[in-house]
Amino acid sequence: MRLQRLWTVAVVVFACTLPLILTTTGQPATTEIKIGAVLPLTGAFGSSGNYFKQGYTMAIDDVNKAGGLQVGAAKYPITLIILDDGSDGTRSRSLVEKLVTDQHVNFLLGGYDTSLVQAQEVVPDQYKIPYVEGGGAASEIFKRGYKYIFGTLATIYDMAKITMDYLATAADQYKLTKPLTIAVVWENTDHGKDYIEGVLDGVKARPDLFRIVLNQSFQLNGSDFSPLLQQVQASNATVFLSDAHLPDFITMHRQYLQAGLYHQFASYGARGPDQRGRQALGGGADYLIAALWWSPALKGAASQVFADRYTREYHAIPDWFQALSYDTARVLLAGVKNAGTLDGPAVRDALAKIEFRNALVPGGVIRFNPNGQIAGSPYIMVQTLPGNTVRIIWPKKMPETFDAVLPMPKNQ
Amino acid sequence: MFTTQNLVSVAIAALLTAGLYAVMSYGLAIIYGVMKVINVSNAGFLMLGAFMTLMYFQWWHLDPVAGAVLNLLPFFGAGWLVYKLLVRRVVSARPIATLLLLFALWLVIQNVALAIWGSDDQSIITAYTYKSLIVGGFRLPLTRLIVFAVALLALSLLHFVLGHTYVGKALRATVQDPQAALLVGIDTERISALAFGLGTALSGFAGSLLTLLFSFTPDFGGPFQLKSFTIIVLGGLENFAGVTVGAAVLALTESFAVLFMRASLQNVIAYGLLVVALIVMPGGVAQLWARTRS
Repeated sequence: MRLQRLWTVAVVVFACTLPLILTTTGQPATTEIKIGAVLPLTGAFGSSGNYFKQGYTMAIDDVNKAGGLQVGAAKYPITLIILDDGSDGTRSRSLVEKLVTDQHVNFLLGGYDTSLVQAQEVVPDQYKIPYVEGGGAASEIFKRGYKYIFGTLATIYDMAKITMDYLATAADQYKLTKPLTIAVVWENTDHGKDYIEGVLDGVKARPDLFRIVLNQSFQLNGSDFSPLLQQVQASNATVFLSDAHLPDFITMHRQYLQAGLYHQFASYGARGPDQRGRQALGGGADYLIAALWWSPALKGAASQVFADRYTREYHAIPDWFQALSYDTARVLLAGVKNAGTLDGPAVRDALAKIEFRNALVPGGVIRFNPNGQIAGSPYIMVQTLPGNTVRIIWPKKMPETFDAVLPMPKNQ
Repeated sequence: MFTTQNLVSVAIAALLTAGLYAVMSYGLAIIYGVMKVINVSNAGFLMLGAFMTLMYFQWWHLDPVAGAVLNLLPFFGAGWLVYKLLVRRVVSARPIATLLLLFALWLVIQNVALAIWGSDDQSIITAYTYKSLIVGGFRLPLTRLIVFAVALLALSLLHFVLGHTYVGKALRATVQDPQAALLVGIDTERISALAFGLGTALSGFAGSLLTLLFSFTPDFGGPFQLKSFTIIVLGGLENFAGVTVGAAVLALTESFAVLFMRASLQNVIAYGLLVVALIVMPGGVAQLWARTRS
């Protein structure tokens, strides 16, 4: 009887002290690294979200095929957990939180687009989990003082500035009608606000060359842009600039062509050369000018290896979505490796001072500003040409750069 | 900045859009008229109509206008079945029951489409997609002209059927007074199934026509649903002629409002009109017309 009582006391004492023992001797040994991402696999941004999934998967596969990621003395396999937010901001944020609290992910990869990244970005700092994203480019994302967010896309403001710089050069080279009268339309989001700010600063820098004749915002994921395009038509501009995401670009440019609009120079920001856009518009996307973060037209070895591999795996030509998401995941993994630990704050510090070489972005190097956004403005300008061809037209110094076809021919 | 020519051009474009708006709202008005049910699955059938048209185009190179006609029969059958298997069981329950049922149906249709066609933007490009005609100095997109003409033809045919056939008269009688219709020997149960079938057929028809103007995904249809609802409220919910007027009012307001306000507020116009109509004239233009006559 006494022995039984002693056993009972021993079991109770053991049960009570077990958590303490586990805490003092450390957690059960880590056997894998969990990386989470919440992407819009369905909904308005479904196409782009699936491209991001492909890029992330390719980068993680690379590491797992090599036996895992070397972190300090140990090598860990990586598990990638991807959840679908259906392109809904509220759901996106709560799913990122779920990844942290339920799935206990070690690190986070970002979503797509700016609005969804903005919805997600509050979570990483809260839990001190590094978050690297390549799907949100509005500078507003990095103005909120978060320390655990890193972005691999150059800003939309820079995109607009580079487009304006190119336009200024092209005006002389291709004898566009001067002064260039510009109709600019932009989506009513932080993405669009960045764009119009860049365009207006470009106009301020060259008042002799540029004149804005229409400045209008439109709703993201709009269903019908014909009233807006009526205004564009009435403005009699020589240049048409639009900041639009892929679904809006397809709808707007289709209606642009149906309305018989024509401009000497037309650009939809980063849209036009993407495969989905060209499939949806056919020859309608020909001659559009775009500013891009990456293109398969880049002849660098890393870009060509990536493009060939992607085409082998997915039987399609990659766009910047896949390339930037691939780079984004590789940067995160490099940060973990450099830190030599899975500790969130240590990896965050390693990312803050990373100099990631052999990247796919123009220039081949990714490093971050103190606010977490990529340093520099790695952009190229491209033109879509008939026959599903995309050519780099800027910067001039690159060997793969061609002269643009400007003024744009009336192709319809 | 706007010349008279610009303003006339905006008005013409708005009227061409109104034809499309009317055809996509008629189905909703017929179903509401007969059953007092707001068919929120209308958006799903619009989207399905667009995807079926894509299939016909890919399989047989069938033009979307022919696809619209081809859609009528299967969509009528689908609507009939939805009524017989689902709606009939809850039609006499509280309105929230049918609303939730049809909302769930919309989600099911959307997810099935997502599983079959994925989330990529799809589009149909015909030989005339980017063509336009210049008439009296005004450039008119050929696709909008075709959609307007086909919509007008379909609506004229519908008016003829509703006004000159036994089925049409029975349907209108059921809309006006279901009890009286029953008393004079109309099989209102059958008329309800017919109305749901007809409404769904019109959604499939409109979905096909929309492919001439827009690209589409499984999410397609939602924004048009709001517009359709605004139109039938403006028209007076059960008034078929009012739907045409409601479509014209919405299209003209949307087009001209953009001249004075940000295009990003375009959807606010539809919401605003809906609120105004519900508060100021819940009976829509039909009520306004009746007041003027009296």
